[in-house]
Amino acid sequence: MLTQFGATAESLSKASTMVFRIGTDAHLYDDPDDVSIVPLLDSKFESEKCEALKRLLALIAQGFDVSNYFPQVCSENVATQSLEVKKLVYLYLLHYAEKRPNEALLSINYFQKDLGDPNPLVRAWALRTMAGIRLHAIASLVLVAVGKCARDPSVYVRKCAAIALPKLHDLRLEEHTAAIEEIVGMLLKDNSPGVVGAAASAFASICPNNFSLIGRNYKRLCEILPDVEEWGQIVLIGILLRYAIAKHGLVRESLMLSFDDLEIQSLEKDDPESSHLTVKRPFDGSSFDIYTEIADIVARSYLEGPDKYLARLGHVNQDSLGLDGSCITSATSNDDVKILLQCTSPLLWSYNSAVVLAAAGVHWIMAPKEDIRKIVKPLLFLLRSSGSSKYVVLCNIQVFAKAMPSLFSPYYEDFFISSSDSYRTKTLKLEILSTIATKTSISSIFLEFQDHVRDPDRRFAADTVAAIGLCAQKLPDVANTCLEALLYLALSESSNNAVALMGEEEILLVQVVKSIMAIIKQDPHSHERVIVHLVRSLDSMSAPAARAMVIWMLGEYCNIGDLTSKMIPTIFKYLAQRFHSESVETKLQIVNACVKVLLRAEVEDMSELRLAISYVLELAKCDSNYDVRDRARVLKNFLSHCKGFNYLEEADNLTEFNDLTYVFAEYIFGGTKKVPSESFSYRFYLPGSLSLIVLHAAPGYEPLPEPCSFADDETSHSPTNVHNDHESNDIDDSDDISGSLDEENTSDYSSGSVSGEGGDSYIASDSGEDEEAGTLIHLSDDATDSRDHDRVSVKNTSSGLMDAGELMSKRALESWLNENSGSGQNSSNLSHVQRSLARISIKDIGQLVKPKSYTLLDPTNGNGLSVLYRFSSEVSKVSKELACIHVSFSNHSEGHMCNIFLAEEKPNPSPDSSEKSGSPSESVLVSLDKEATLIPMEEIDRLNPGQTADRVLQVRFEHHLLPLKLVLSCDGRKQQVKLRPDIGYFIKPLPMDIESFLKKESQLPGMFENIRRCTFSEHLNQQNDKDEPPQKDIFLMICEKLALKMLSNANLHLVSVDMPIAANLDDLSGISLRLSGEILNNSVPCLVTLTLKGTCAEPLEVSVKMNCEESVFGLNLLNRIVNFLAEPTR
Amino acid sequence: MLQCIFLLSDSGEVLLEKQLTGHRVDRAICDWFWNQILTQGDSLKLVPVISSPTHYLFQVVREGITFLACTQIEMPPLMAIEFLCRVADVLSNYLDGLNEDLIKDNFVIVYELLDEMIDNGFPLTTEPNILREMIAPPNIVSKVLSVVTGNTSNVSNTLPGATASCVPWRKTDLKHATNEVYVDLVEEMDATINRDGNLVKCEIYGEVQVNSNLSGLPDLTLSFANPSVFNDVRFHPCVRLRPWELNQILSFVPPDGQFKLMSYRVKKLKSTPIYVKPQFTSDSGTCRISVLVGIRNDPGKSIDNITVEFRLPPCVTSSDLSPNYGSVNVLADKTCSWTIGRMPKDKAPSMSGTLVLETGMERLHVFPTFQVAFRIMGVALSGLKIDKLDLKNPLSRPHKGFRALTRGGEFQVRS
Repeated sequence: MLTQFGATAESLSKASTMVFRIGTDAHLYDDPDDVSIVPLLDSKFESEKCEALKRLLALIAQGFDVSNYFPQVCSENVATQSLEVKKLVYLYLLHYAEKRPNEALLSINYFQKDLGDPNPLVRAWALRTMAGIRLHAIASLVLVAVGKCARDPSVYVRKCAAIALPKLHDLRLEEHTAAIEEIVGMLLKDNSPGVVGAAASAFASICPNNFSLIGRNYKRLCEILPDVEEWGQIVLIGILLRYAIAKHGLVRESLMLSFDDLEIQSLEKDDPESSHLTVKRPFDGSSFDIYTEIADIVARSYLEGPDKYLARLGHVNQDSLGLDGSCITSATSNDDVKILLQCTSPLLWSYNSAVVLAAAGVHWIMAPKEDIRKIVKPLLFLLRSSGSSKYVVLCNIQVFAKAMPSLFSPYYEDFFISSSDSYRTKTLKLEILSTIATKTSISSIFLEFQDHVRDPDRRFAADTVAAIGLCAQKLPDVANTCLEALLYLALSESSNNAVALMGEEEILLVQVVKSIMAIIKQDPHSHERVIVHLVRSLDSMSAPAARAMVIWMLGEYCNIGDLTSKMIPTIFKYLAQRFHSESVETKLQIVNACVKVLLRAEVEDMSELRLAISYVLELAKCDSNYDVRDRARVLKNFLSHCKGFNYLEEADNLTEFNDLTYVFAEYIFGGTKKVPSESFSYRFYLPGSLSLIVLHAAPGYEPLPEPCSFADDETSHSPTNVHNDHESNDIDDSDDISGSLDEENTSDYSSGSVSGEGGDSYIASDSGEDEEAGTLIHLSDDATDSRDHDRVSVKNTSSGLMDAGELMSKRALESWLNENSGSGQNSSNLSHVQRSLARISIKDIGQLVKPKSYTLLDPTNGNGLSVLYRFSSEVSKVSKELACIHVSFSNHSEGHMCNIFLAEEKPNPSPDSSEKSGSPSESVLVSLDKEATLIPMEEIDRLNPGQTADRVLQVRFEHHLLPLKLVLSCDGRKQQVKLRPDIGYFIKPLPMDIESFLKKESQLPGMFENIRRCTFSEHLNQQNDKDEPPQKDIFLMICEKLALKMLSNANLHLVSVDMPIAANLDDLSGISLRLSGEILNNSVPCLVTLTLKGTCAEPLEVSVKMNCEESVFGLNLLNRIVNFLAEPTR
Repeated sequence: MLQCIFLLSDSGEVLLEKQLTGHRVDRAICDWFWNQILTQGDSLKLVPVISSPTHYLFQVVREGITFLACTQIEMPPLMAIEFLCRVADVLSNYLDGLNEDLIKDNFVIVYELLDEMIDNGFPLTTEPNILREMIAPPNIVSKVLSVVTGNTSNVSNTLPGATASCVPWRKTDLKHATNEVYVDLVEEMDATINRDGNLVKCEIYGEVQVNSNLSGLPDLTLSFANPSVFNDVRFHPCVRLRPWELNQILSFVPPDGQFKLMSYRVKKLKSTPIYVKPQFTSDSGTCRISVLVGIRNDPGKSIDNITVEFRLPPCVTSSDLSPNYGSVNVLADKTCSWTIGRMPKDKAPSMSGTLVLETGMERLHVFPTFQVAFRIMGVALSGLKIDKLDLKNPLSRPHKGFRALTRGGEFQVRS
């Protein structure tokens, strides 16, 4: 009956679990592939599709690769109306999108359709999925979608747009960076806190150092901070902190400057410690030095990163943080800092421990030292949250406590160890307790420690003993008590050990002896009794490491008192007796102790001791271990010369004191030298960071920004740049032209007056340029480029062929020859060309190309030194990836300048930078060693007033938007300058004829082709400005204008200029210009086609078509072209 | 940002994986992780941040399920841990518990939840109320319905209005037939009693839990009679911080249903409601143990659910324990738990017995720590008193209820 009942109960429970599992997806997980999935996927019933997708999901969950279903899933199911199917499809799609990019492309249309759905949920999902498909090909589509969704009325969609931005950024498409950052900036301004939080996270992963985006909204972001979602808060707090430091620098009263503070104070006042420090450390002043020292290390580590800081520590000691007064601000007077501290302090009450820790980090770094106290309680309260976060919080507290023990010392009870803590948590707590122990709290802490010593976990007990040792060293007052307790422990442990020889027990004993040793080291004379006790218990001590340490102490302190000296002979007899059974470790120590004793001991009965020792040494000499034998031999050699020990039984011979070996022995075993105090090798990372927990800089870890680095940016760079762009173009007009001509000399376009045929309209401008041509040749001779040599030779030949002033580059010549065979036209008879032939050739415009010149250094900023730079069309011979830049230095000051030199900015302004300016050759080597981002230029030794010198820089830009930071040194002074790249010069001309151009173009259709439109209106000004000779052909003029514009802004080759044969007089429509170039670093060709529309008297509509395999680059370049076409030259 | 989340069973089986970014994380990382656990023992299970050769791992273990998240770049570790905890909370809330089978049975919901909760490695929607609106939790009715009709959709068709509102934790248009709000004070007492029987530390960790079923958009204020007892506080995001700073008043628009309004700590309490006195006397290889439990400080209500747990030291080979009240259970890992239940009125419970030590061991020299659990209904031992709960915009007068409860938290007695 009973068994029967039992059976029923069992089956009942089985049945009930079955019931519970009914209606769930259990069967799908258990056997996901028991039916054929494909027919289900193709089914027209939503529920069957759903089931199929769930089965796929189950397979994914279990780690199977089901990407082969991709086509079926994508082709039909994406279009579904059912949200659940959609969700499942999206889950599937995202899992495999990267693996099957081409099929994923098929679904793009559906996403785009969904993006227009009235349901915000659908829009958001579509955006999330679309952005999750990591395909370069659709990146620009996604960008457009994100841009659209960033303006969506629904908060949720905007939030998803913000989160989608990092996905886009992650594709590393340079051309989109600007657009992405713009959207980030826009979303940061959003009204909804939810969006701002997501935008903050996007900001942090996309452009964490673009502080200008934050600067505009700083106040608002601070105010909105409490309303932002918790996850966003964590990120936003970090951003605001970095911004505040970059903008305003460190806070004077904060911990970060405590060391400087102290220095200043001790310089100014005579009593730095008494007045101001006691206020902050009411406990004891003894460890104050350590406290500031660590605080200083912490501060430096935060700013520079510990690795760099520690590396530097080797070279230079204790230079100040490198901050002058301007980088220091005050928490009381600076509104930005004040508001940051105000807005983060309520977050210390947050439910999310990460938020609390982030807020605490801000206060730790920015708040005045007195106010840091307020972070303590919230931090301690975090210890009551989950075990996992407890560990992380403790790691952070540990750093805080090291730098400022007084903060936590009143709260020592919170670090008392609970038996439920994990081992790591326990050790952390022990460490913190020994850091924050003070005279008042040590007694309670000590009581706790005593309890822990009897904890069943012996590893933990040993750690406790170590902590006791640390406390005793730190607080000499309690040393005696600690020592007593430890001694008692050692004695009882050693007796325990004798009984139960367990590996675990040994740990404790060894640690006890180690702690005792550390305490005794501090004041050996008062602890003689302890040594005696230990030595007496030697017999019961079995752990070799512990024995070795006791013997070390015996040798080291053999002469500190009467007791020891009395017992030494006996001990050595005992040791001699036991010697053979000791472990190697102990034997070595015994041998050492022998020497020490002989050197120092004042024992009455030396003969007995001598006997014992010589016996020991003899034994050691015959030991089975190499080390012991070797050591014994060496030491015996020492001893043979010193007092009290002589094999020949000679009387002490004072003369032998002078023996060298004796000096060595004294030096080695004398023990007079102090053990160097433990140097700080802590690695401090920013509070709340992952690096702090794993104790190495995790990828992506960045120390705090350089204080006030951002302010510099704002004030000196951007405004002057803008300013100079105009100024240089306005004022230095003539200069500019000549300059550009210099540059263009080396370009592919013929210079000089090839344009003899170019129509008289140009003669006016040509006239002044003949002499430039001279210098031009000169310059290109300078260059070591083999290509240049060619070119020069070509130039020479061409000049031989043609007029003296007529020069033509090799490629221009080639194309000219090609053209000659085809159309053979020169532009002078344009009217003729226009009617008979569709192709115009404008060969002569090279000379007119005027690359824009940018200001690198303004004379007002550079003490009269002005530096301009232009991108040149030259190609570097060092590496094909390098772009050439002409830099011209001119001295506008009264006096002369020396040693002008441009170099790459070293990431850290290392202390030896001063030497660098002295010997540029060194730095040249340095920068060449590294990835050559910059081939340095020759130094300009001397620049007289009014003189101008030109140099060529070869530069590799990482990115077409990121300026290259350079250091300009002049007269030994250094100045940071920024070289802004121009994507138009990331390419070099690719000479080709029209046929190959068209062929290439036809190979690059579809997504490699991009078209944008813009208006071109420059020809209108031209017409108005100059009184054109009426016979001058307007078509030619416009074409030239356009070509000139193109060539002066991008390093392209003009392939052809075509126009429809049946063109009306006034109608420009249909004229097309073709240009070609290839990307510097990968030689991928870029083909540009400009097609005009409109009439002469109106602004022209130009459609620019770009064909390039590198669609990203192509798009970027296209944007650039459109921009410069649209903008007027001046 | 997080790159991947794995859910592992307690045997190391990967229950499911959710890739979060384009940088896929291979499952091999789980094998590595589990090998580490196997080689280094369970102590690694308690390490929240592990750096593996390829990734940094964050783990949170809940009821045997390991939530493992991977990243390769710097990010706030607490953010990852908090998020994993949140995921665990939400899942156990949805599935009514957390175990291997529940996760397998509801893997679709887990996937859908994870997808809503995190996007591209950054937490998206973590508010349980909103999630409930987006993805319907499984319940009996829907299960039966799904069996009958074959329709299994649990994905909501509309975006919860709350995502757009200024109180993202609350549904916008709530209607409840009964308007009621309950406030519970749930306190846990953490105490440490050292070998000498002295109270080293005694403090209360408490939570104000609110169960609100109110229609519309109610604005509540809760005030305490003695807010000065608080040592530390933490608040739910719905609490407005300004009124608290000024007057120590909690002003908030509550989420719907059960939530933790605030948590607090009251330190330096002077006594505990019960005492536990363990005693060991050892002699020649055996050790007598006796444990006494009694009421020290009568809280006025009955104390129940009393259990005393401790772990026998490794040097004990066998034990024989007998209580005069309740029952004793010794598990394989030498954990002894003595279940007393309700404190008897007439006698003081005690347990005594002998422990046999390892051969060669004369006396016991390491002593276990006793964990004590208890429950007292109707009393907040911190002495915290709720003064009043007001509704600013009452549609109809709600029913209000208050309760209190104290449990033993980390209540430890060393021997």
